[in-house]
Amino acid sequence: MITKDLHIVGFRIGRETFGVPIELVHEIVRVPEITAVPDSPEYIEGVINLRGKIISVVDLRKRFGEREITWTKKNRILVAELEDKKVGLIVDAASEVIKLPRTDVDNPPNVFEEGELNYVTGVGKLNGRLIILIELAKILQRGELKRLGDLAEAAQSAASAGS
Amino acid sequence: MSFFSEDKASELKEIFFESAQELLQTLNEEALALEKNPADAETVRSVRRTVHTLKGDSAACGYRELSELAHELEDVLTPELAQSAQNARIPEVVLAAADTFQSMLAAYRNNLQPPSGDALRQHVRKLTSAPAAPEQARLAPTFAWSEYEQVVIAHSLDKGNNIFHVALQIDRDCPMRAAAMQMIRNVVGDFGTVLAIHPEDNTPAEQIDVVEMAIASKHDEQWIAKKSHIPAVIKDVVVVRAGGAAETAPAKTVLEIADTLTQPVLTAVPAPAESKDEPAEKTASKSVVSENSLRVDADRIDDVLNLVGELIIGKSMLLQTMSEFDKRFAKDPLRGKFADAMAFQARVLTDLQKSVMKIRMVPVEQLFRRVPRVIRDVAKSAGKEVALQISGQDTDLDKSILDTLAEPLTHLVRNAVDHGLEAPQERVALGKPAAGTIRLNAFHQGNQVVIEVGDDGRGIDRAKVVAKAIERGIVTADEAGRMSEGEQFALIFNPGLSTAAQVTEVSGRGVGMDVVKTVLDRLKGSIIILSKVGEGTTFQLKVPLTLAIIKALLFRVADKLYAVPLGSVLEITRARESEIHRVDNHEVVQLRDQVLTLVRVAKLSKRKASPGKQLFIVIIAIGDRKFGLVVDRLIGEEELVIKALDDHLVATELVSGASILGDGTVVLILNVQAVVGRVGREGAKGAHA
Repeated sequence: MITKDLHIVGFRIGRETFGVPIELVHEIVRVPEITAVPDSPEYIEGVINLRGKIISVVDLRKRFGEREITWTKKNRILVAELEDKKVGLIVDAASEVIKLPRTDVDNPPNVFEEGELNYVTGVGKLNGRLIILIELAKILQRGELKRLGDLAEAAQSAASAGS
Repeated sequence: MSFFSEDKASELKEIFFESAQELLQTLNEEALALEKNPADAETVRSVRRTVHTLKGDSAACGYRELSELAHELEDVLTPELAQSAQNARIPEVVLAAADTFQSMLAAYRNNLQPPSGDALRQHVRKLTSAPAAPEQARLAPTFAWSEYEQVVIAHSLDKGNNIFHVALQIDRDCPMRAAAMQMIRNVVGDFGTVLAIHPEDNTPAEQIDVVEMAIASKHDEQWIAKKSHIPAVIKDVVVVRAGGAAETAPAKTVLEIADTLTQPVLTAVPAPAESKDEPAEKTASKSVVSENSLRVDADRIDDVLNLVGELIIGKSMLLQTMSEFDKRFAKDPLRGKFADAMAFQARVLTDLQKSVMKIRMVPVEQLFRRVPRVIRDVAKSAGKEVALQISGQDTDLDKSILDTLAEPLTHLVRNAVDHGLEAPQERVALGKPAAGTIRLNAFHQGNQVVIEVGDDGRGIDRAKVVAKAIERGIVTADEAGRMSEGEQFALIFNPGLSTAAQVTEVSGRGVGMDVVKTVLDRLKGSIIILSKVGEGTTFQLKVPLTLAIIKALLFRVADKLYAVPLGSVLEITRARESEIHRVDNHEVVQLRDQVLTLVRVAKLSKRKASPGKQLFIVIIAIGDRKFGLVVDRLIGEEELVIKALDDHLVATELVSGASILGDGTVVLILNVQAVVGRVGREGAKGAHA
């Protein structure tokens, strides 16, 4: 069990690469027309029609506090399934499935202060790249997330300390 | 040992619970019939049959306690008993049995230890024993708290209070009953907070033998038992701790019935869930169940309905494609064939949809059937005489809506009897018949079902309600002055006004009115109060026929597509920006001889509306008031399959659901009431700033 590789869907937000377990990802689609819902938090982009089902869409970039959001053709919606509910996550780009040996995953950086949602489950290293493994359920909870820039720095130092 | 595999056994139990629920309903009805005519041997026989069935079924499922109890009851229910001098007590015992069985079932269902049936057993045995001297009757409290009281008790338990069920038997030889009651009240006041007390204060003291109470107290059982034993007044005392961690060994008498008495607290939780398990068939209660009906899990029907919903979306996709095809190949002879095929398909689809919806429809009778028992209990404890009139019970309503309405309806009926109706003497003095009338009525009105609960009691004094609301700071005098009659009545739904103590003096209306309102809101329904002081009150509950598919009006505002239920749209009109005036922080427009308050839907989105000179105004009705929604462009009418939004992420009261159009666009269905409330308020605020 322990020696088995982790299968991870990798996606990009800003300059960082994130990863979530492949079992959670239902599919990856292009960004269709999004219907905004009044009253929802800033990072909730709205709802989309996914083949006859209505699912909510979270802009992960806004969720991570990215200041500049660019809309390109590479943008994708990661459709994840959490507790039997589907939810869409807008990311800058997503394509690769990564096989990551468990031995290449370090513990998450200990940078979270009290009250913050600790959503990082580990930091993976792949050919010199860092992949931040995150827990989707935590990200979808309401509450403040650590800014992406701060997180990346912390992940970097955690990884170098680990090696 | 079970003969069945695990799966089979649980399926069998599921069936048992459902049929047992029906049997209990029948038992209740039969008991009420017996109360009117205790000597009727035929009814006693049919009670016996019902109990017999319950005994057999429960034994088959291995529920020994229940089947043994049913067996004892069955044994004593002989036709001879109906003729005996004891017959007046049969209905009481049967009703108590129904209650006990109910709590046992609830316990079984949740895999809890069933409450002991000892209290009931004693009742049952007394039926056959010779009418003994009343002194010999041992105190056997039932602690049958009403639903509301159970909630209060459970709530207090949750807060970590120690709750005790206390029963005091008043000595028969006690010469001054009224004084005795006063003494009891004084003593009990020292224990802690009284959460529930039976019988209620207004019962004549002479008629009280046993006082039952639920008390939150810091003291322990022994202390309470000792204190409440007033010499020469109290003959017997039972104190039982409810829920919580039992610490010291309770007194002997306590032990005996301890498990009986934890029961009211236990049932407080499963009770609402049970209402869902009411039989779906109309004929279910009759002892002869029609063989031609089928019991189907509601989820399966929902699945079919969902598929029909998808088909309807598919239909509009086809229509959309068809109109594009028309434009591109205007002269193609295939067009006619396509159109024919699609018309045919649309017709079949409509029929299919109607048929599936019909499966989900059940007559309101299922809801009304619980009412007689509720009325009986409340009337008895409040000392009221009540005649019940039921009409429109054949009106069909979506099953899930019906289930949800059970609780508010019970609340309303209970309130109507308890607070709405005057006491018999008072009624006679007013020149009314001694027995008050409670009317239940149901009928269809467009896409809605209206359910009415009416009484011919004292009515609600609107002026007093308003005065109280102002006093409590719920509204300002200025606001209240501008409210319509209906809105002023609706103030009683405000939680600040509807707790028991306050409302009894304000309007005579009781607890839980805010709960009623909340449920109706959740169902996208509405509630209207019609009341005249001295003549009575009628609550009008309007709920949608079904939650699944609605006719809606689609429009665009600030480039966004929205829909509102067509049922709430009165008319559509046009206006120019220059015709809009500001009055009192509100935008208004003159419509014929009326002034219409406007609501800018554009305020819902952050984007700026593109101000055109021509505006469309969709006039909607909320209760008895009209509002105009200002929209940019009308799109049309469409049948929408409502899909729920993920309430975890995008919860908002402003949107009641979403739907997918033929071209795949997602449209939000607005909750007009919330939109008017919100945007209206913001409009007023903005003007102040």
